[in-house]
Amino acid sequence: MTVLILTCAEDVTTDMVVSVLHDRGVPVVRLDPADLPGQVSLSAEYAQGDFHGHLSTGDRVVSMTGLRSIWVRRPGRPAAHTTHLSEWLTAESEHALYGTLHSTGTRWMNHPVAAEQARRKPWQLRVAHHSGFAVPPTLITTFPQIARDFAARYRDLVVKSVSGAHPDDPPMALPTTRVDPDADFAGVAAGPTLLQQRIPKRADIRLTCVGDELSAARKLSDPKEVDGRFTDNGALWSPARIPDRIVGAVHAYMSLTQLAYGAFDFAEDDDGTWWFLECNQGGQFGFIELETGQPLAETVAAWLANRPAPRQGQPGSPPRRRG
Amino acid sequence: MMKPFALNYARPAAPPPIVIPYAYDPRRQWNVLPDGRPATSDHALLLATSTTCSTAGSKTHFDD
Repeated sequence: MTVLILTCAEDVTTDMVVSVLHDRGVPVVRLDPADLPGQVSLSAEYAQGDFHGHLSTGDRVVSMTGLRSIWVRRPGRPAAHTTHLSEWLTAESEHALYGTLHSTGTRWMNHPVAAEQARRKPWQLRVAHHSGFAVPPTLITTFPQIARDFAARYRDLVVKSVSGAHPDDPPMALPTTRVDPDADFAGVAAGPTLLQQRIPKRADIRLTCVGDELSAARKLSDPKEVDGRFTDNGALWSPARIPDRIVGAVHAYMSLTQLAYGAFDFAEDDDGTWWFLECNQGGQFGFIELETGQPLAETVAAWLANRPAPRQGQPGSPPRRRG
Repeated sequence: MMKPFALNYARPAAPPPIVIPYAYDPRRQWNVLPDGRPATSDHALLLATSTTCSTAGSKTHFDD
């Protein structure tokens, strides 16, 4: 039984997991959907109620009935590396690859359907609240006057991307940034804007959940710092104890979202409360392992290496339970 | 055309700090350094290149 990893070649975080799987003697096939068609080939035949087929890359072949698990890490867009790229070819390749893989009924980290929904930040906030997390007041609007009213109410605000994406034409970075409550909000009408009450924090928390395994790391924050990804205050990540209340909320969140993997970001305030900021369903973990020594690659590899459970639910639907 | 509010707070994307000194080896299915060692064996290099950190995929992915 083989672990299938969908990711780009330069993803060294995946290297950490492949190395562990190699040491355990677990067969692995790693490929980038961007290489389909071309360096990656696919064939699947529907007969007698199911698909039977295989994927190949180089001299490696994996049977679709021989999958132990699928890890969707940093896949390129299907067909992106072909010489005759078109939206049509991308769609054809995407449907062929993911459509047949959905039909295998294997375990996913994370299932694309669950992942797609879990990326939506507004939905994250609602699920987080219902899971028991503390969630900062948040507004998403295209109405300048509503933005002004929100700013007048909360005064200490940040703005962040709704999608988490950064502008690409030209390439720009859009860190979570403090906003003057008296700013000119007219531009809110030109694009959905996410405003959130700023949580004065003493530390950033990154909690990584793999299946049922949780580990957390803390990095002390400068009181004026907003987005620790774009500043360097010299602090390092260190292992953190997870409050019992947070353990329960994480499990509830993972169950509601049907994710097998999630990287949670919290702001820890002076009272020790962990405020939910977001859960990245494909969040990085390599930098945490390198700084804290927490064996996250081992944990991911162990989840991927588990033998598949009996098929559940309808074909093509996200798994009902995490492994 | 009016500029979306959030873009008032955008800043130029930082260029990659250094050239990535490893390349993918499809036989081993991981990246290797010029001397053949796995890239993951050099923790200092990985931290210096930020290829495992929470902004590593920002150009093509948004799940960091």
